[in-house]
Amino acid sequence: MPDADIRVRVNGALRRATVPPRLTLADYLRERCGLTGTHLGCEHGVCGACTVLLDGEAVRACLVFAVQADGADVTTVEGLAAPDGALSPVQAAFRDEHGLQCGFCTPGFVVSVTAFLRDTPDPTDEQIREALSGNLCRCTGYQGILRAVRTAARTAAADPPAAGGESR
Amino acid sequence: MKPAAFDHHAPADVGEAVAMLADLGEDAKVLAGGQSLVPMLALRLAVPEHLVDLRRTAGLRGVAEHEPADGCEGVLRVGACTTQTAIGRSADAARAVPLLARATPLIGHFQIRNRGTVGGSLAHADAAAEYPSVALALGARMHARSPRGARTIPADRFFTGMWTTDLADDELLTAVDFPVWRGRRGFAIEEFARRGGDFAIAGAAVAVELAGDDRVRRCGIGLFGLGPTPLRAAAAEEAATGMAVADIAADEVGRAAVAGLDVVPADLHASADHRRHVGAVVTARAWRRAVREAAHA
Amino acid sequence: MTGVRAAAARYAGARVPRVEDPRLLTGHGTYVDDVVRPGMLHACFVRSPLARARVLGVDAAEALALEGVHAVFTAADLNPDVREQWYTLIGRDVPDTPRPPLAEGEVRFVGDPVALVVAADRYVAEDAAELVAVDYEPLPPVVDYATAHESDELVHEGYPGNVAGTLGGPPLDELAPVFDGAALVVRETIRQQAYAQVPIETRGLVAEWSAPAGELTIWTATQSPHEVRLFCSRLLGLPEQRVRVVMRDTGGGFGQKVVPQREDMCVMLAARKVPGALKWIEDRRENLMSAGQARHEHADARLAFAADGTILAAAVDHVQDVGAYPVPWPVGTAAAVGMFFPGPYRVTRATWTSTSVFSNTVGRNAYRGPWQLESLAREVLLDVAARRMGLDPADLRRRNLLRRDELPYTNPNGMPYSDITPLETFERALEILGYEEFRKEQERARAEGRYLGVGTCTYVEPTTAAMALHATEGATIRIEPSGKVNVYVSGGSSGNSIETTVVQLTADALGVDIADVSTIQGDTAVTPFGGGAAGSRSGSMTAGAVGETAAVLRERITAIAAHRLEAAPGDVELTGGRARVRGVPGAEVSLAEIAELAYFRPDELPPGVPPGLEHSGRYRPATPVIFANATHVCTCEVDVVTGAVTLLRYVVGEDCGPMINPNVVEGQIAGGVVQGIGGALFEHLAYDGEGNPVATTFMDYLLPTAGDVPVIEYGHVETPAAGPGGYKGVGEGGAIGAPPAVVNAVADALAPFGAQITRLPLTPESIVALVRAADGTVPR
Repeated sequence: MPDADIRVRVNGALRRATVPPRLTLADYLRERCGLTGTHLGCEHGVCGACTVLLDGEAVRACLVFAVQADGADVTTVEGLAAPDGALSPVQAAFRDEHGLQCGFCTPGFVVSVTAFLRDTPDPTDEQIREALSGNLCRCTGYQGILRAVRTAARTAAADPPAAGGESR
Repeated sequence: MKPAAFDHHAPADVGEAVAMLADLGEDAKVLAGGQSLVPMLALRLAVPEHLVDLRRTAGLRGVAEHEPADGCEGVLRVGACTTQTAIGRSADAARAVPLLARATPLIGHFQIRNRGTVGGSLAHADAAAEYPSVALALGARMHARSPRGARTIPADRFFTGMWTTDLADDELLTAVDFPVWRGRRGFAIEEFARRGGDFAIAGAAVAVELAGDDRVRRCGIGLFGLGPTPLRAAAAEEAATGMAVADIAADEVGRAAVAGLDVVPADLHASADHRRHVGAVVTARAWRRAVREAAHA
Repeated sequence: MTGVRAAAARYAGARVPRVEDPRLLTGHGTYVDDVVRPGMLHACFVRSPLARARVLGVDAAEALALEGVHAVFTAADLNPDVREQWYTLIGRDVPDTPRPPLAEGEVRFVGDPVALVVAADRYVAEDAAELVAVDYEPLPPVVDYATAHESDELVHEGYPGNVAGTLGGPPLDELAPVFDGAALVVRETIRQQAYAQVPIETRGLVAEWSAPAGELTIWTATQSPHEVRLFCSRLLGLPEQRVRVVMRDTGGGFGQKVVPQREDMCVMLAARKVPGALKWIEDRRENLMSAGQARHEHADARLAFAADGTILAAAVDHVQDVGAYPVPWPVGTAAAVGMFFPGPYRVTRATWTSTSVFSNTVGRNAYRGPWQLESLAREVLLDVAARRMGLDPADLRRRNLLRRDELPYTNPNGMPYSDITPLETFERALEILGYEEFRKEQERARAEGRYLGVGTCTYVEPTTAAMALHATEGATIRIEPSGKVNVYVSGGSSGNSIETTVVQLTADALGVDIADVSTIQGDTAVTPFGGGAAGSRSGSMTAGAVGETAAVLRERITAIAAHRLEAAPGDVELTGGRARVRGVPGAEVSLAEIAELAYFRPDELPPGVPPGLEHSGRYRPATPVIFANATHVCTCEVDVVTGAVTLLRYVVGEDCGPMINPNVVEGQIAGGVVQGIGGALFEHLAYDGEGNPVATTFMDYLLPTAGDVPVIEYGHVETPAAGPGGYKGVGEGGAIGAPPAVVNAVADALAPFGAQITRLPLTPESIVALVRAADGTVPR
């Protein structure tokens, strides 16, 4: 079972690695890149905690092998805030609306919502619920998360450049 | 929950891919979007020695409408590795094959659809999945290639058993032709699941075309979640075809659709009996909506 | 606490943003799986595929031959090393149920750990686990706890009838005259399915043994790092100070992570036998198969009423499935089902029994409001009674709910309720909903063939039970030489926002800006001993600990400031990070200056004032328990054709006392409510007839999603309890109130069919069956 050489751009930085074909993208990010914000909650594609952007699209990193990301661009939750630590509008909205408690599912939600609002900047409540239904949270009852998505959409509408965010 | 080891192959074109499949035989599995296969690998329910990954394989993506020609009706040809998201975003799909477009948001969640492919969904042949029933309802045709050549398989001969298809070990599904129904046609897909995004307890995809006199010129009913394979409710279709639409009771179509089902799955989420009941209900609901759309087309 | 007060609470009561959030939102939390140690090895358990079997042999030769495999441990390797094994909350002397680290001789449920594989990474460990050959001789399993007492088979030797223990109140006979003479007796058996905590982070730990130092360091996902340390020190016979437990972020617990379980024991035991740190991260299938179940139980419950609807007596026979290896001892905790069955109602006579029964399924463990069957059984019966009496269920409850002027009130089982407001939360919740309006809407809908329903649940719950492990809580506050503040409590972030709470309380107590306070938690090496996040205790206990500790420092700061400003200590107030003389503008000194004096110029301190600004205090509550109460109201629409339930509105009227942070309170309630909705409608940790678990993935174990839950509305009634700040617990109640409210709403919607619900979960199929049974037709 020969290992494979891959080149992946992760949060803007080009990385090379030699990986066994069965290494999932999630494990590659966590173990090889030290990006432990991508969490594993089920490893069979249901909970959404491991969601990352692969060439801009939100995907389950547990259902992609690292070899399949060869040549791709990956953005993890660590890549969303500004370099100075300023939260992205989605992250800031989660904070403002109590959209997280234990925080374990949070990276998956934040990444998913980031992609969702990019594609659907002015969502209806129904669209929000549909978009969130692929991520499981056990702490918040989703109440703060639903509010956070609405708030983030409003913020982005009021502040179109959609860069940076509130500082902490 | 980590997959067992495998060799990874990324063929550049279909010829290389099918040569590999022929060479590796039953030890190989085709990896398309991986949204069904990778969970099975993680749970070690599937332990193939080789994965033939289509991510670099040319010529398997895209949506194109082919006009009617030579007595054949027009089709929407969808490359097997076209993602479900791409279908969802395709204006051509929405216009030419509305049933395919409307089934798409029912598949999993958007993160799944970003990777999941049309061909993967059909070749995986999950009895509870949406696309196979759409293919059955519309009479889609599967294009397959092997080192032995190319062939076309009609949808109702494609799904041969639980998670199995007519594809041989060395054969690759390359594209699917979804017929473009014209005239006074209507489409609807209805499913009932415990939660949004779950595999359906039961579902039905209905396509109806009405003649000028409001008789059913043709119809297709694909059922999912109701048997070991995706099913076509042939008897119900037959009973409705040629009838004046006003004389057809939707509930009767539903009843007829589930009447002949003999091997209905039962699990934690629903008994066979309940699936049959819900199957009749969703078929009736889909029938009503499809007919209403056709009547107003 | 007397002495000097900070000027005013600036942060308590406010929706302060959480201090945990920046790291968690950016992927910089530290959960146990994020911990990497040099030379770290990875563990994977070999688990029984059979519900019950004799283990004839374990052959690890093939596994050990695999490249990257370091060891395969069996019961013979690990179990003899156990020195003592008991939980601090339960105590050494309770006749606890068996709990071997690895299965010894017999496996007792599917998922029972038989061997532990240690390898270079988890992939290889799983490969090796598949190669360990275990020779099983199948035995007939005891799958159904409800009939286990009749079985010839025993889950554990020495427990006849598979009964782990029984407790109860006075004999039911004593109440016979009341029941016999009642105008109406309602009696139903209410059954709940097994469901579980299912934190999105599974269990896990990293254990690193330093042989030269004789020290073990453990990083783990836990609700109680200090209990992990105590337990581990006893287990291995290590002095407590030689065990260090570190926990920064835990991805939810809900009871599953209150104490170490068998797998944790195995890793602790194995850590001394491997050359590097040993990591075990449970996968989801293991979690759903082996991490425990809750709620699997039934209650034969009865209520006696006078003709005017007055409750005369309440009695409940409770039987619970404790599986094969319950954690912790399940017998005592089950008593609360009986004790609280009368609930927040005026009930003069009551009794109860509780029986804990073993089965060859996964062990029962603590889950958010472990006794919540009392509310489900009582509230379902009240609705049944109201229908039989032709009363509106709200009116029946109004006649019986305790009023403020009746408090304190000791319930017939001896529970001394005080400072509760059941009638107020009830009226508040119904008012927010617009109950009368809803009844009209329901009537209109029924005329159109649509089935709407409303259900309520009103309960009183014990919080902050101060016993054993939970008797006290400590805090250390260090005002550093710069005047900035560090506060140390046991705590640790597991979703309860305890970091934010502590920082809020400390800032208020010292009159400093919240940005000047940090908190250090979860590391037993540096934090004071504490019981952990359990039993709805963190808020009130930590408030007590911070209060006790800060009071001493406030006094010291005030003395120094008064000395420096030549004022009377009584005229000094602390606010905005400064000590000021009341009414004298400009007469003030900053905390930084005071700290500088305290640390670097001790000669200038007033006589008798010790140097430094650091103090540790420990809080012991004056009352053994704090009662909280709430009313949940839910409305729904039922599609009687498919059995689909759509929840429309959800209102919680609650009284957890004054709120330290309403966001945190509401977040706790919402999380609990949605878990309860899951239990009522979706979740089922089911087994087949042979004892095979059939919901071991998230495809089959259905957690509620954002698409399944209504918006939750709140009505807060803030009645102080006796303790510091008047705070009460709020962590568990949501999960108590939701199942009855949902069940009653669905039953109300189906009332036209005469349907009665006595069994959970309410699957679409079960709802269709109820409708079908009621009118004999198949709806379409």
